[in-house]
Amino acid sequence: MNDGNPVARLSTSAAAGMLLWICRTLLGALVSYPILLAIRASSMTSGPDGDSVLFQPGSLLLLELLRIGGPWLGSAAQVALLLLGLSAIFELVPLAMALDLLWLPGRSLIERLRRALRLFPKFIALGVIALLAQAALLLVASLLGAALKPALSSADERLRSIAPIALFGLGLVACAWFGGALDIARAMLVQRAEHEPSERGARAALADALICLRRRPLSVLFGLYPSVAGSAFAYLTAAWLLTRFVPTTSSSVALALGFGAHQLAVLFAIACRVRWLGAALELSAESD
Amino acid sequence: MRRVTQDLLIGVVFSALSALLLNALFAHTGATPAAETAPRKPATAWPALAESAPKVASYVIEAKFDSERHRIAGSETIHFVNRSSATLNELWFHLYLNAFKNDKTLFLRSPFGAGRSGDKAKEYGYVDVKKLTIVGGDGQDLWANRDRHSPDDPDDETDLRVPLPTPLEPGQTLELSLEFEDQLPELVERTGFVGSFHFVGQWFPKLARLEPSGTFAHFSFHAQSEFYADFGDYDVTLDVPSAFQVGATGSRLSETTAKGRSRLVYHAANVHDFAWTAWDRFEARSERIAGTQVRVLYPPHQEQNAEAELASVRFALPHFNARYGAYPYPTLTLVHPPDVAANAGGMEYPTLITTGGPWYSTFGGGHFIDVVTTHELGHQWFYGLLASNEHAEPFLDEGFNSYAEADALEARYGSGSVFGAFGLSVSSTALNRLFSAARGEDEKITQGAADFATFRSLGALVYSRTATVLSTLARVYGTERFNHALGVYTRKFRFQHPTSSDFMGVMQSELDSRAVTALTMALSERATIDYLVREISNAPISAAAGVFDGPSGREQKKSEAPHQAAQYSSRVVVYRHGTLQLPVEIELGFEDGTKQRRHWDGSGFTFNVDNVGPSELVSVNVDPEQRILLDDDRSNNWLSTQSNDAPQCRERALYAAQLLLGASGP
Repeated sequence: MNDGNPVARLSTSAAAGMLLWICRTLLGALVSYPILLAIRASSMTSGPDGDSVLFQPGSLLLLELLRIGGPWLGSAAQVALLLLGLSAIFELVPLAMALDLLWLPGRSLIERLRRALRLFPKFIALGVIALLAQAALLLVASLLGAALKPALSSADERLRSIAPIALFGLGLVACAWFGGALDIARAMLVQRAEHEPSERGARAALADALICLRRRPLSVLFGLYPSVAGSAFAYLTAAWLLTRFVPTTSSSVALALGFGAHQLAVLFAIACRVRWLGAALELSAESD
Repeated sequence: MRRVTQDLLIGVVFSALSALLLNALFAHTGATPAAETAPRKPATAWPALAESAPKVASYVIEAKFDSERHRIAGSETIHFVNRSSATLNELWFHLYLNAFKNDKTLFLRSPFGAGRSGDKAKEYGYVDVKKLTIVGGDGQDLWANRDRHSPDDPDDETDLRVPLPTPLEPGQTLELSLEFEDQLPELVERTGFVGSFHFVGQWFPKLARLEPSGTFAHFSFHAQSEFYADFGDYDVTLDVPSAFQVGATGSRLSETTAKGRSRLVYHAANVHDFAWTAWDRFEARSERIAGTQVRVLYPPHQEQNAEAELASVRFALPHFNARYGAYPYPTLTLVHPPDVAANAGGMEYPTLITTGGPWYSTFGGGHFIDVVTTHELGHQWFYGLLASNEHAEPFLDEGFNSYAEADALEARYGSGSVFGAFGLSVSSTALNRLFSAARGEDEKITQGAADFATFRSLGALVYSRTATVLSTLARVYGTERFNHALGVYTRKFRFQHPTSSDFMGVMQSELDSRAVTALTMALSERATIDYLVREISNAPISAAAGVFDGPSGREQKKSEAPHQAAQYSSRVVVYRHGTLQLPVEIELGFEDGTKQRRHWDGSGFTFNVDNVGPSELVSVNVDPEQRILLDDDRSNNWLSTQSNDAPQCRERALYAAQLLLGASGP
């Protein structure tokens, strides 16, 4: 890593961020395509005002699209969901490349791709374990909420409705925490691929990451916190700017402003994630 | 440790900023209220406002409430005037509470037992009449001679006939005395108890409405139906445990407390029902709004809901006063039931309405509290003052009131009258259209409440489609003109029992016969409408080519290339499907960017739009202002020869996919 040179470190992070953004944009275009086809097939956008009619105040024609195009949109959403799942798996490749780039800058893109593809099965194994663990955490939170329901039956109305939400929120925090450990395990795999290729697998990396989590819980939790909060901030800022200052018209300026604001938000969120990935590499290196 | 602190600080700053942004996004509805919040002075004078109703049935009731057993012991004196043109030999009583007596009643039995709420009775309720005598008579118990069940329904006791010992001539009065005892059910729809919360509606033996012809408009209580009664004065004394807060129809004249019980005396003049609620946990707020003392009863910790309800009344009461004539009563009570008694919410009684919603209803961009409060307040006109037969013609109150609600909410919130946040706004008009679109042929709107196939069908047609019919008419004839016509109707028939014929009469005089025809067809004849275009054609007009013999000999003229044509002949055919005829505007767009408007009065089934001009016709848009809300399918109202790549949808769909990938991806 470029520990001593902030400029080099920044340019490495920027390169990793751009790599992730390009992949996310391409995959996003793929995932959204079925929905777009369904919207166009509904004829709701074939008028002289194009699709701007869908964004008119009051949403009369947006609701008409949902009414008329409901069946198509439902089917398209299912296809999009499938593509989303596949894309999420495929995104592990650019993620491995980004980690590799952050850990050891200077390699060629082809070499990084080769190394990322070698790590891909281990990343998938890690992802499956993490997914199961996170699902279990959320299930426990939901079951606790359900178990509390009878006990709270005579409690204040607000407590009755907030308690299950708060429990689920705690479950989400635990999931995020586990997600942090997952990133550390990924970082370990990338680092170990450098020194001891193929010797230690995903389970060992996850076990080591959990040890790191046990030893430095706050570093993991609070290291992840700016990434999550920063993403939320970026998306909300884009939404606020667009609702405040950009009219819902079909003008190309409005369209360009919308695209720009949205992509800046995505880039900012990715930058926050890259910052955390750097921290995960550091935590991984320290625990090794 | 330094890094942990740094991360924590950055995260906290981002979180705080996110919270501020979220708040701003929910506060910014993305819609602006309509510029005109109150109607302008009408072009023609309003009809004079009646100050009181012709009283037919007035009630004096003494009721003792047992909160533990959920029982009410009552005595009742009815002052009845035969204002009809016929001699009466019988009376008809509605015992609505008997609808909850057992699972075989018309209300609770399958398939309509689910009714509006979907809940059946868990503990049953009923009303027992102990004795019915004529005051000043020989003491004979008339109740002994009653019919034992509702007409043609041995399982139902909600609609009972009582023969009179002597005929009652037109103009004669009759004073009746009753003793009765109620057992309240566990809350079914709007009546009953949950824990110590009680909502007491349709609780006393009540005379059916006497029509001018001398017949009683009586009916068994059906799960899809509401009520119908004569105007009168109500003097009601409630004896309740002192720990209970009570809200009731009318004004509280006095309150005395002794031995842990309170005697509350209420008076309500010129009303046609009396309902009340009692709960030992109610909190209360009062405020004077537009000359009316408004009181809100609400559960603990729901101050925000109470404030939202008062804010709704602050806007809607003056709005409705201006639109439909001043609210004539000194008090208005709003009851927000606790969430365990949500079935009691969203109901109207004279001078008392119930609202509802969980404690967090005011959070986010939705206007649920405003919607329900404004709707129920509107019923003070469309039910309260215009006491139509809700059983026979439910659209006259629910449908017209849904229009009034949408009109008031859009005057207050603009296009975000139902939801407004994150730049997205959803209006009441759009929702009414969504719920009723393409349902026009299902059933006729003007049928009785019990005749609808399901309550969902009634909801879509009586509430949403009626409102959409009226909104369409308002958009076609001009909102101000239509609202004035509706205002004439509400003023002319104030304190009366108007029918659909009365309404049509006003529309005939204030609008025109075409409006009445459209209304009649849309409401009574399942008429629908769908404008559509299928193709655009353009042909270049060029000088005639060929071989021509002229005075100077034979001449050969070659065809001009299409691009050299100076003129184009363009045609588009607009079709009208359905039997409803409404005038419509058609907007033509040409390649050079110019636009033209054509008007079609809606007659015939096709309309050829021809144009000769220097530019090709590239687009057509039928009803560009979306006035015909009844149009069954808006996706076929336009055509464009230009590309349809939906750039805004593309951009937003991409962004949404990126967000989802960010949330679900690695």
